[in-house]
Amino acid sequence: MSLKIKSIVAVLALATSCTAFAADVIKIGVSGPYTGGSSPMGVSMRDGVRLAAEEINAKGGILGHKIQLVERDDQADNQRGVQVAQELINKERVVATLGYINTGVALASQRFYEEAKIPVINNVATGTAITHQFLPPEYPDNYIFRTSANDVIQSAMIVREAVEGRKFTKLAILADSTNYGQLGREDLEKALAARNLKPVAEEKFNIKDVDMTAQLLRAKGAGAQAILTYGIGPELAQIANGMEKLGWKVPMIGSWTLSMGNFIDNAGKNGEGARMPQTFIQEPNTPKRKAFIEAYQKAYKIERIPSPVSAAQGYDSMYLLAAAIKQAASTDGVKVRQALENLNAPVEGVITTYVHPYTHDDHEAITMNMVVMGEVKNGRVVYAYDSDKGQAVREKAKAKK
Amino acid sequence: MDVFIQLVVSGIALGMIYALIAFGYQLTFATSGTLNFGQGEALMLGALVGLTLVGHMSYWLMLPLVLVFGALQGVVVERVGVRPAIKTKSEFGWIMTTISLAIIFKNVAENIWGHDDIPFPSPLPTEPLQFFGIRVLPMEIMVVVGALAIMLAVEIFNRKSIYGKAVVATSNDRDAAGLMGINTSMVITFSYALSSMTAAFAGVLVAPLTLTGATMGVSLGLKAFAVAIIGGLNSGLGVIVGGLILGIAETTTGYYLSTGYKDVPGLVLLLLVLSIKPAGIFGKSVIKKV
Repeated sequence: MSLKIKSIVAVLALATSCTAFAADVIKIGVSGPYTGGSSPMGVSMRDGVRLAAEEINAKGGILGHKIQLVERDDQADNQRGVQVAQELINKERVVATLGYINTGVALASQRFYEEAKIPVINNVATGTAITHQFLPPEYPDNYIFRTSANDVIQSAMIVREAVEGRKFTKLAILADSTNYGQLGREDLEKALAARNLKPVAEEKFNIKDVDMTAQLLRAKGAGAQAILTYGIGPELAQIANGMEKLGWKVPMIGSWTLSMGNFIDNAGKNGEGARMPQTFIQEPNTPKRKAFIEAYQKAYKIERIPSPVSAAQGYDSMYLLAAAIKQAASTDGVKVRQALENLNAPVEGVITTYVHPYTHDDHEAITMNMVVMGEVKNGRVVYAYDSDKGQAVREKAKAKK
Repeated sequence: MDVFIQLVVSGIALGMIYALIAFGYQLTFATSGTLNFGQGEALMLGALVGLTLVGHMSYWLMLPLVLVFGALQGVVVERVGVRPAIKTKSEFGWIMTTISLAIIFKNVAENIWGHDDIPFPSPLPTEPLQFFGIRVLPMEIMVVVGALAIMLAVEIFNRKSIYGKAVVATSNDRDAAGLMGINTSMVITFSYALSSMTAAFAGVLVAPLTLTGATMGVSLGLKAFAVAIIGGLNSGLGVIVGGLILGIAETTTGYYLSTGYKDVPGLVLLLLVLSIKPAGIFGKSVIKKV
């Protein structure tokens, strides 16, 4: 009998010591696609987050606790994303989650975080609806934040580049059939409508499509002077290759995904000259960026970051979250959200130095003035306009009232 | 008019890719009444093995090696997945085993070659050729020629050689062929080897046109399956015609109707064929004796 009691006591002691141990680390979820066509973004984002977490841990962690990343592959699949969200919230009990590359996955999964009052910082997905999913009065507090340039910014920049930069008026839109592509297409239409323009052709393609002849011929038939794209790397490469095949070469201007390694590699010379909005270009034009690029190259033993934008935004999201947890002096979701909305100290990131990036009603850290045009040149993304290179770090624009 | 011909030409190139994979479905169905649902994965493995080999040798030297690899892969599928099901006279066991083998192959490929799509160096110039304003990539011509060549080779083999005759005999009546002293289970293994070999060949043919990666086979395998159903699972001519119909339907409806609906006509056709002539356009209906 006494043996039984002793063993129970021992088990209880072990159990409590386990939970005590678990409380020693701050668990942060990282959800993104590490496989499939979106994986260059997912992997770069994760590696950026890892890099930041390692740096923070090396300096003693947050409030004396080490960060423990709980990384899960959502495979760019909406259902899988929901499973990951539930696992991270209910089983892993994360303090917050960083991630989401795919707008569709983000929209499907965020609900669970909102209900659990756990903050999410979207560091790559750009869909406009992402930060507008839970707004007052229905939801008094929004737990969804973002460190990427949303589609309103992206589409406005794409249209500005095409219409003002290149003086085109006849534009064709090619977008994939996912949430990302179709929501982006809507934003592009709105941006065109703001200039009293209408696309001359609007074409759709599916993920894994190998032949773009029909789409391109329709755009060509409509007399398009440039193609505005919303898709991901592999299919964008097929568009560039299809244009070469048809002997119809017009500029490609599209969302930031034209900077993905799998677009640049698979399109080869056909991808040269493609332009896209970028929050970060792998160019060491500030000390912080130099340190970040060198640390990334050293840690992952590669020269070209597969998706520099994702890596930088992932890295910055980790620092923003760490700053909020430190300021809140708590891992409680509500307090961390409040801290994120009222960050006192500036947070030095790769993209910019974030000075009060969020408020209660504004959950976008990036404004249009912080985004630059990138261009594919010799297999790398470079600044399309040299004038952007000089003033590398820009502060957030004041919100218009 | 030019546009229409351009669409048809692109459709033919696309359709021949489907036809070649569908041909692989047909080979095993003829001898054993089973299909390898991992046909798309056999294509993917062929392309990726080819990609690795091409780093060390020329494209043309790599081809026969990939064919050998494909054949071996087919033997593995048959031995591990299909033979036990045939032995136990299981009606559906092979469906599950070939699908699960396909998933395993995909995961193995992801672990070896990574998750990303990678370009496959083209053995022919990538500049398109022009014929009367119609532009064709040299590689597209090679896909059409290569697909027809391997199908023709398999047909000649079946009709002329003694081993081929054993295959034909097994397709006609497996039990009778067995009684005549033909080792039918050997023939079935052989047909799987042949089937995966054509798929691997298709893989290295299309890889320079499409992108190469662990997931490249999924949608191709599925569309080829539709082609096999449309054309008929026991007609060689059927898969070619079925492939061309689907390929051309995709490109032309994409252009003339809407690119959002380009996959619809092929699937409508599939439904029509299944409801009007379930054995396929060129298929012979067989009365199944129970």
